[in-house]
Amino acid sequence: MPAFSSLEADDLNALVVFVHDLHAGASGTERPTGDPSAGRKVYEASGCSGCHRIGRAGNVFGPDLTRVGASRSLAYLKQSLVDPSADIPDEFIGISVVTKTGKHITGVRINEDTFTVQIRDQSQEFRNFEKSDLESETVMKRSLMPPYRLPDRDLENLIAYLASLKGGPASGEVKQREGIR
Amino acid sequence: MSRILICLLAAAAALPAQITYERIVNAGKEPQNWLTYWGDYGALRYRTLDQINTTNAKHLRLDWMFQTGQSGNFETVPLVVDGIMYITVQGAQAYALDARSGRPLWHYTYPMPDNIKLCCGTINRGFAMLGDSLFMVTPHAHLIALDRRDGSLIWDSEIAPSDKGYGATIAPLVVKDKVIVGVSGGEFGIRGLIDAFEAKTGKRAWRFWTIPSKDEPGGDTWMADSWQRGGAPAWMTGTYDPELNLLYWGIGNPGPDLYGGARLGDNLYACSLVVLDPDTGKLRWHFQYTPHDVHDWDAAETPMLLDINFRGQHRKVVVQANRNGFFYVLDRKTGEFLMAKPFARQTWAKEIDDKGRPVLMPDAVPTPNGTHTCPGLAGAANWMAPSYNPETKWFYFPVREQCDVYYSMPPSFQEGKPYWGSVFRGATDEQEWGLLKALDPSTGETKWDFRYQHAPWAGTMATSGGLIFAGDQDGYLMAFDAKTGKNLWRIYTGAAIVTAPITYMTAGKQFVSLAVGGALMTFALP
Repeated sequence: MPAFSSLEADDLNALVVFVHDLHAGASGTERPTGDPSAGRKVYEASGCSGCHRIGRAGNVFGPDLTRVGASRSLAYLKQSLVDPSADIPDEFIGISVVTKTGKHITGVRINEDTFTVQIRDQSQEFRNFEKSDLESETVMKRSLMPPYRLPDRDLENLIAYLASLKGGPASGEVKQREGIR
Repeated sequence: MSRILICLLAAAAALPAQITYERIVNAGKEPQNWLTYWGDYGALRYRTLDQINTTNAKHLRLDWMFQTGQSGNFETVPLVVDGIMYITVQGAQAYALDARSGRPLWHYTYPMPDNIKLCCGTINRGFAMLGDSLFMVTPHAHLIALDRRDGSLIWDSEIAPSDKGYGATIAPLVVKDKVIVGVSGGEFGIRGLIDAFEAKTGKRAWRFWTIPSKDEPGGDTWMADSWQRGGAPAWMTGTYDPELNLLYWGIGNPGPDLYGGARLGDNLYACSLVVLDPDTGKLRWHFQYTPHDVHDWDAAETPMLLDINFRGQHRKVVVQANRNGFFYVLDRKTGEFLMAKPFARQTWAKEIDDKGRPVLMPDAVPTPNGTHTCPGLAGAANWMAPSYNPETKWFYFPVREQCDVYYSMPPSFQEGKPYWGSVFRGATDEQEWGLLKALDPSTGETKWDFRYQHAPWAGTMATSGGLIFAGDQDGYLMAFDAKTGKNLWRIYTGAAIVTAPITYMTAGKQFVSLAVGGALMTFALP
């Protein structure tokens, strides 16, 4: 991102306020109707930590949820649960490859360039493939996360739990201290 | 023989021959050197070196690497003269390196003033050289001369004031006894210019304003006083025909970039090729690729000079793969329009008429609510160097396949501040990609394409070894068979490639060098 050092002070302040307010829907003004404690039980019972991490607990296959309540609106959280394919973050696009030896591997696309593709497979391991060794490669239009058909109350509780996740210490800060970029 | 005579003879033998104008004119006759930014005055970027060729390119490996310690886009193209390599580095720095080993010989850093506003970052595209002097620009739009023997400063001349939005990133062009440069800052409400300086003294010899004033020819193509801040920078190096004694220079887009309402008219000579007398700076002819451009489609792409068989006739032409998505062929003596063919997706022009003027599609202009248009703002081609192989007679160049949504609204002008006319954004629900394209310049027909995963920002180079070298946005430097487009070799360099490679020979060995990341990487056969 280039620097915008030539902005006038007033414009800069207005831009800061605008960007800051972009997440107001996440935590500022909305109030979830569910019970976060009950929602935590739904989270655990649904096996969410098989893909997601909160703090140091869980896995890295899907997005880190440590601060998801600070950055996402209630509507987005709900959509992510019932229709995760509606908005797939670029860094979690799914890919499915078939090697020339007939192996099928599905995972999260970490990198793809003209000659190679790197995948995090479902066992959380990195895999590297030369495209010349692949029979086929399919970028998945659907999310690797399945849609969740939860009873309404469970859904509301889970949303409330996710909305309560605002870091502390923030996952990013923890990662920095550990030298993880 | 006296001792003094022995010493003088020894000294003479040790000194490399100086760079003369004649050597640059005949640069093709010394393929072991790279004497000027394009490698030759016509910008073919073709070298008759075939030690590395289609049969052995797969064995290329890293021979040496020089680390500059700098971050940011490393866009230099090295000069190599008689075994010494000269490079510029971002932040107004330069090095001389031993071209065989990469060992540094000297390092120069220009003392940039504190708290200076720079329109256009600190990248630098390279040196020019004449005699014992090297010439480079600084980010704040100065032209300086350095002594090639130790990097010491000879002279320092301001091109244009940086507090008014001017900057410079260009590799200068030496023609005869002059050093020719253009400015950056087109998005900062400047009035663009090309300057020539006396190589010996640094005194300005002539100036060509890329925007005519009201009472000059073409001055009526700008509404009211919009010409005074109309942009039209000249930020890329031109080409030169020594026989015709003509200088060919591509001019950038008008400003404000995306809002044409502030500058009704064709906006000469923005988005044009201007052809100048290098001795006086007088305009000989011009051709405007994109009249009244509202998509930031500079014509700063390389104006390559070719002698080709065009429709049964031998013609001297100037060709350009333009940012607007069309490949143009013009007669380079008269400016006669000969051909324009699309080489990428474009949704803005129905056609180019028989005079070379685009017939616009309706509703292909930026709007307050956004208009989806191809190519994107960065263009289907851009400043990245093409090359030409006289054996295949094909033109090789990187293509960007990427579209944008363009927004527009009236901006307010403040001297030295950005003057855009709103914004653009990538069409984010579309996948971009890129191509290395081989094209027949006499017909505009594609001969082959090699697809890249991402739209590239790297240039190309051709050799008599039957190879095309090219880079991509993911960091691969690659060698291709010029005839078939087959990829013969690649190396992952670890950083996006944003310049073009060169090749040279020293100590009996051919090398391929490329600036990438923070390093100058040089490859050779084992």
